[in-house]
Amino acid sequence: MGQLDINIVIGGPQGGGIDTSANMIIRAFAYAGMDVFSVREFHSNIKGRHSYVHIRSKDDKVRSLKYPADLLVALDPDTIFEHHEDVSKGTMVIYDSAFEGSDLGQARMIMRDTQKGIKETLEKAGFQTTVKGMLEYMQKKGGKLVPIQFDSVLSPVVSDGPTTRYFNTFGAAVTMSLVGIEKSSMEDAIRYVFGNKESVLKTNLAVVDKAYEYCESNKLVGRKIKKMHRESRIILTGNDGAAIGKIMGGLRFQTYYPITPASDESTIMEEHEDLKWLENEVDQLSRGGVVVVQTEDELSAITMATGAALTGSRSATATSGPGFSLMSEAISFSGMDEVPLVVTLYQRGGPSTGLPTRNGQADLLFAMHAGHGEFPRIVITSGDVEETIYDSMKALNYAQKYQVPVIHLIDKNLANTSEILDGIDTRRVKLEIPEIIPQNDGFKRFSLDTSSGISRMGAFGKNIFWLTGDEHDEIGHVTEDTRMRDLQMEKRFRKLETAEKEIPIEDKAVVFGDKKADVTFVSWGSQKGPILDAMNELKKIGISSNFLYLKMFTPFPSDFVHDFLYSSKTVIDVESNMTAQAAKVITQNTGLKISNYILKYNGRHVTEDELVEAVSKIYKNGVKKVVLTNGA
Amino acid sequence: MAHNFRSDVAIDWCPGCGDFGILNSIQQALTELNFGANDVVVVSGIGCSGKTPHYINVAGAHTLHGRSIPYATGVKLSNPKLKVLVTGGDGDLMSIGAGHFVGEGRRNTGLTVILFDNEVYGLTKGQAAPTMQMGQRTKSLTKPNMFGRVNPISLALTSGYSFVARGFSFDGKQLKEIIKRGIQHEGSSLIDVLQPCPTYNNINTMEWYKKRVYKLEDSKTWEPVVKNDDSNLEEVFQRAYAKAGEWEDKIPTGIFYENNNIPSFPKRINEYVPRYLENPPSDQKISDKDGYTLVDPMKTFSEKIVETIK
Ligand SMILES: Cc1ncc(C[n+]2csc(CCOP(=O)(O)OP(=O)(O)O)c2C)c(N)n1
Ligand code: SF4
Ligand SMILES: [Mg+2]
Repeated sequence: MGQLDINIVIGGPQGGGIDTSANMIIRAFAYAGMDVFSVREFHSNIKGRHSYVHIRSKDDKVRSLKYPADLLVALDPDTIFEHHEDVSKGTMVIYDSAFEGSDLGQARMIMRDTQKGIKETLEKAGFQTTVKGMLEYMQKKGGKLVPIQFDSVLSPVVSDGPTTRYFNTFGAAVTMSLVGIEKSSMEDAIRYVFGNKESVLKTNLAVVDKAYEYCESNKLVGRKIKKMHRESRIILTGNDGAAIGKIMGGLRFQTYYPITPASDESTIMEEHEDLKWLENEVDQLSRGGVVVVQTEDELSAITMATGAALTGSRSATATSGPGFSLMSEAISFSGMDEVPLVVTLYQRGGPSTGLPTRNGQADLLFAMHAGHGEFPRIVITSGDVEETIYDSMKALNYAQKYQVPVIHLIDKNLANTSEILDGIDTRRVKLEIPEIIPQNDGFKRFSLDTSSGISRMGAFGKNIFWLTGDEHDEIGHVTEDTRMRDLQMEKRFRKLETAEKEIPIEDKAVVFGDKKADVTFVSWGSQKGPILDAMNELKKIGISSNFLYLKMFTPFPSDFVHDFLYSSKTVIDVESNMTAQAAKVITQNTGLKISNYILKYNGRHVTEDELVEAVSKIYKNGVKKVVLTNGA
Repeated sequence: MAHNFRSDVAIDWCPGCGDFGILNSIQQALTELNFGANDVVVVSGIGCSGKTPHYINVAGAHTLHGRSIPYATGVKLSNPKLKVLVTGGDGDLMSIGAGHFVGEGRRNTGLTVILFDNEVYGLTKGQAAPTMQMGQRTKSLTKPNMFGRVNPISLALTSGYSFVARGFSFDGKQLKEIIKRGIQHEGSSLIDVLQPCPTYNNINTMEWYKKRVYKLEDSKTWEPVVKNDDSNLEEVFQRAYAKAGEWEDKIPTGIFYENNNIPSFPKRINEYVPRYLENPPSDQKISDKDGYTLVDPMKTFSEKIVETIK
């Protein structure tokens, strides 16, 4: 264990089957018993622009990605141009030799600025601005070229149309052969992907056969990776995890307006609206499905979810920055009227439309403050796929228990990360369900007679009460009385104190590593995995580190964070934004100022190698801030 | 005993406001339809009209300006057994919430949308609402209205509302009957109510309306209902649309259009979501006796499982 570590970048035109290839590769590794971690990167485009999947597989737990790539698989010429930086000594570059004739000038789908950068690199190094030139440049850097005539190898086995239709399967199969995955695992992957399409399945299996045969006779075979048996596992993305967690957490009503990278969560739910039940007795009353509604806009998405919550259902909406901006007013309403509501906020690169399909973590402060006026809310974040499941369940619980809007932050990187989990624990999170007692006369939905600030929950259909965005009395009618105003404001905020007291610290902040260390990381969201992996690497080069991982920002675990950071030596804040928003929250709540930063705002995932390098710069050379730039 | 639909909250509309007539008609309709205390929910946005839920003794939500329809839709879809009324202003439903108004026509959820059509923004002191005629100058306008007019009846027809009617707040008898029909209608209904605002609209006053309104049902040949087989659909729709254009001298009231052939949104959901109507989100039990989830995530998402061969 701990011997194998394979990094693959596979790229091609958007809509050209790149996701399918990646899926095959991930599955083939999984069938071989390996662990796999991957992130999908794509343009805001449907067909033609460059997209790629970065995949890492290990024979033990993998939590991050790393450059340089061990294999770069190019399903189009653009990939060769776009990913030259991922190639280094020993990287195998697999491509169709037909690409060799392509010129950079013809690569229309490469963004102009990117083209310019590539041109400069090639000219500076003295190579032609063609695929050929780029390949020579890669070779000079130590890359090993693996040109294959895709068409002529495939034409004997493809008779149902152009061979290009099978290039993605072929590329994946060659890759698997090169890394030493047995053909049977690749075949299982093919059966998984094309299971119910008999004719396509046949040809794809023939293509795999051909690929392995070709590799065998051309010595393109890696050291065999022995198949390991594993118990049932499940492959999930962050989007999947959130959908599953919500459903397990009792969500039965979700709304959305399409937006990347949030809407996949809702679509996944729609695909699974017919629920399957655990063995224990499920009576008639429990049986039902999940209602997912695509609304006319995000104003409607959040208000419709709020309306559903008024009848006692657990409801939520999912969106990303632009949609969340539109939702602000309704978040304030939910805070004012104590409606349990969950908003899953998938951050992407802003501001405005920004980098619509890329990563970002610049909505933390916005999530903590969105909505006018002052009202209690809970803001939590997830950092890996497993957390998306249980955090989604907890988010629904918090909303119900404290009767507040809960904003659950996930980032694009995590949404599109695929991981393999050993299973899903249905008894890890208990559902907190407020009792609803039918009562009409005298029902005080906003009763002040509560030390916790939490009043008895009511539901339309079972109780008569009112809600109003205006300040209100105990049954929900408008008031402008000064005393009632003060009492209701104070009652609402008491709930936050209660939440702060009741929610255990491990749901707010977690420390990884030894108490004392040379370097202390502070971070949140999808940097979790890369930091944990970087910690191991840093140890190898003699730097000890620990990690304060933040999960809850409102209410903020001020004392815990203060006590931990106060005695830490070199504290480094790592975030995917420009202004170090979490560090600001820490300073605001603890008075401590963090002086070292590793920041990334180019929209791409943070990788293990760049973190290690950045920490060295800070720890050894006294640099204060490093901006990460990895990724195509 | 029949439920009393009057709440004990002091009503703070201006004396003579058309809103009183609408409120009375709603309360009478609910009483005559024999609803229980927990059968009905009233949802509003913001405006003078937005205060209506507080005056009716059923669960009510006085929500955000323009958002009454989606809030109400959430209530209805989560618990389709409830009758959900929307009481909204013309600014609320035709301007800031116009997108939702159109969206609701497409859904046909089964809301009863009652539009308080006073042609002004009452609560913000009389600015022109989208239903005001171009060039009209009510007393608090600094100059004649520079905008064209939205016609709620034709907008409702083209958006897909399956019941479209108009009432007059000073004809309580007719209005109450229309509201009853609207509530009983399975799809969504729009009831445009001509509502004088004596404080800010000194043009479209009660007297102004009284001189102009007439009842569609008074004509023996008026037939607003689409037949079960849709055979007269085109004719009924076109006639309603043409009538919607009448204003100025003669203003039609009554039922313009009624189509019972478009399945409501809850019925459409029921085709896909198992047991939805029988066991909607609001009624489902979500945990076992120990408080844990009832859903088997591995079985529900079984296609994502990987098994290795031994
Ligand atoms: C988002 C937002 N913008 C503006 C307002 C201010 N506002 C309150 S009531 C109102 C207009 C109400 O007019 P209408 O909907 O016609 O209701 P009416 O008072 O005439 O019944 C406005 C603009 C608000 N409450 N919310
Ligand atoms: S301002 Fe007009 S609409 Fe508002 S209460 Fe007064 S009369 Fe009625
Ligand atoms: Mg108005």
